[in-house]
Amino acid sequence: MRTRQLRLAAAFLASAVATVLVLTACGSSSSTTTPAASAYAALTSSPACTQLRTQHPDLAGKKLTNAINPHTPGYESISVADPTKYEGFDIDLGEAIGACLGFTVGYLPVSFEALLPTLQSGQANFVVSDIYATKERAASADFITYSKVFDGVLVAKGNPKHLTGIDDSLCGTTTALNKGFVEVPLVEAQSTTCTAEGKPAAQTALYDNNADCVQAILAGRADSYINDVNTVNRFVKDQPDKLDRATAVTLPYSIGIAVPKGNTELGGAFTGALNEIQHSGLQTTLSRKWQLDESAVQAPSLVTAS
Amino acid sequence: MGSFLHYLSMPYLLAGIEVTLQATALGFFGGFVLGALLATMALSRHRVVAGLARTYSVIFRGTPLVLQLVFVFTALPHAGVVLSPILAAGVALAANEATFFAEILRSSVLGVDRGQTDAARALGLRPKRVLRRIIGPQAGRAAIPAIGSEAVSTMKNSALASIIAVPELTLRSNQLASATFDYFSIFFASGVMYLLLTGAITGLQLIIERTVDLDRLDRRRRCRPEAPAAVVETDPPPTPVPAPARAPVRPNRVALTVSGVHKAFGAQQVLRGVDLELHEGEVVALLGPSGSGKSTLLRLINHLETLDAGSISFDGLAVGYSASGAPLPEREVARQRVEAGVGMVFQHFNLFGHLTARENVAVSPRWVRGAPKDEALAAADQLLARVGLSTRAHALPRQLSGGQQQRVGIARALAGRPRVLLLDEPTSALDPELVREVLEVIRSLAVDEGLTMLIATHQLRFAREVADRVVFMADGVVLEQGPSAQVLDSPQNPVAARFLRAVHTMEV
Repeated sequence: MRTRQLRLAAAFLASAVATVLVLTACGSSSSTTTPAASAYAALTSSPACTQLRTQHPDLAGKKLTNAINPHTPGYESISVADPTKYEGFDIDLGEAIGACLGFTVGYLPVSFEALLPTLQSGQANFVVSDIYATKERAASADFITYSKVFDGVLVAKGNPKHLTGIDDSLCGTTTALNKGFVEVPLVEAQSTTCTAEGKPAAQTALYDNNADCVQAILAGRADSYINDVNTVNRFVKDQPDKLDRATAVTLPYSIGIAVPKGNTELGGAFTGALNEIQHSGLQTTLSRKWQLDESAVQAPSLVTAS
Repeated sequence: MGSFLHYLSMPYLLAGIEVTLQATALGFFGGFVLGALLATMALSRHRVVAGLARTYSVIFRGTPLVLQLVFVFTALPHAGVVLSPILAAGVALAANEATFFAEILRSSVLGVDRGQTDAARALGLRPKRVLRRIIGPQAGRAAIPAIGSEAVSTMKNSALASIIAVPELTLRSNQLASATFDYFSIFFASGVMYLLLTGAITGLQLIIERTVDLDRLDRRRRCRPEAPAAVVETDPPPTPVPAPARAPVRPNRVALTVSGVHKAFGAQQVLRGVDLELHEGEVVALLGPSGSGKSTLLRLINHLETLDAGSISFDGLAVGYSASGAPLPEREVARQRVEAGVGMVFQHFNLFGHLTARENVAVSPRWVRGAPKDEALAAADQLLARVGLSTRAHALPRQLSGGQQQRVGIARALAGRPRVLLLDEPTSALDPELVREVLEVIRSLAVDEGLTMLIATHQLRFAREVADRVVFMADGVVLEQGPSAQVLDSPQNPVAARFLRAVHTMEV
């Protein structure tokens, strides 16, 4: 009796393991692909893209992985209508580049600070995820710029701390930022200025994604959050009775696509595709579709460490 | 509330549960296998092997799981090992859980009374069988609650895999919250999902605990129609039942030769040159004060301990050593014990706690000789009848009195069909009123069957009645030996005389 029951238990466990292994084998693909080819038929058949595919035949038919931090509605987030899909300007842009060059796109959702390490490790092939192309970041990856934008400062309704940007108004307040944001060292530098002036320090509270940052403001843990102005506007639009965008003086930035350092082949192909996407007006169409009203198309230029 | 229910039944999140289960299962089962390996290594006698296991534990128990996940996912690819997110999570979770499983398994193995391992080895069970039949089932039972909580802990830890892009429940909840701004409903729903999952694991744990619970098994066993046939309980003397087949006694043949045996435990010399001979059919009582080395001598004879110097042989067979004198692996020693036909009865009985009386007795036929289960149990029933315990055949050791346990111990040794039976103070752990029933059983083995026996004992009257010869030991040497009456009535050695007088006074 006992042996039989133990055998039953063993059989149960064994089948559980087997099931899991099978499920793992079948279901491990974490990425979602949207049929891009049809949506960008005109782009695909353009002479420029046709030529690019001839120049870069090894990309055709491939599935490249785009590392994203899908917590920025408008740029990249899951689709509320179909959460198995990602949507946003960056998603469309990546798919359009894929359509032009002949590859399909898979996604790897990671935290913001993990975007470039994931690219460096080879787990992802490129990054289109609302990431500023800066010299510092170019130490980890090559960037191809595609958009000009400036920062916005998200605050609680009515801007109770009267914040005006990364300046003395931040002294004695807390700024919520994602780990790895370019604003982190800027706020820290401002904090040094604050203390030098005998004022209380400007604190940073670091999170893994934008939603957590916004929650920090809503919960009163932080006084501000700084990111590109389109993203800030989006959060204000979503909760206009609780959030505001401070009238502030902010810095301009370039948003870029990150590709592995020194991979001139891929960098060249992406630059070519971006040129065509911009010339054909597709990028402007996409910006409008995702209501990125306060950014401008920027001609592709390569940002490298050197 | 509405949106909470909406998220609770949302296919996107439900699919996340599946991934959570995958990551958990990879971490749990992978961790279990790796942990079992680590526990085996940690219990190894080889210092290097044990040291490797310890080093692994220090590293993986001492670093945050978050770092391990990032390491496997982001750093390993630089060394050419690219794992998919779910596999990377599985590897990191398993590597982390393994250290905890190793400690759980190690402590539950160490928690099994060492005496049971001795008893199993003495029966001639090979090491793998000792592990599988004796240690495994008991350690396994003891480990179930801790293993259950490791499963829950693995599941909760799997949420950390969200940082390496594993699309499990937490990652999906985060992404959904970012897209919908419906922060609290989503996390409340995913919290409830986790609660249901961990609750299910706890339920499974309780079911397994109940299934293998010895007391419940015992109740079921009693309800069975094939309960033991009503043999009249004779408690004692035992019912005369034909003894198991045994080779005919050849009284002039030497069954066991002990010569020049030395043994020390650390700095303490326990045996300092012991010589002894045992003839077939002879019963020898080993007398001497506590600490004189009697038990150690018996344990050396069937190689439960290793010799420092000297030799021991059963009709030319040195258990524990090859023909050239080289020490043999335990697997070979087990075979030799069977070949030599040496059985042992222990002072503290050392019955296998997870087996009933008849299963204890059937261990040697089933797992040493490989007899079919029914046949082995039938033989066990006969032997239990012989020691007057038919009605207690289905009792667990802890449900038996000391005297009954020792009678089962004797029946278990007899089931191995020994040619030489070693009895290590078989009545010393018993209450006075229980001593007689055990001595009666031993007496019948000597008188009715002429079994060759070496008995360490303090029972002078019993020695006088049953033993052909008495060997008196003190401080690790034999001080005097000879026919029972001679040594007991007129000991020549003054230490022996003093000891015998003292014990005699107590007995009278």
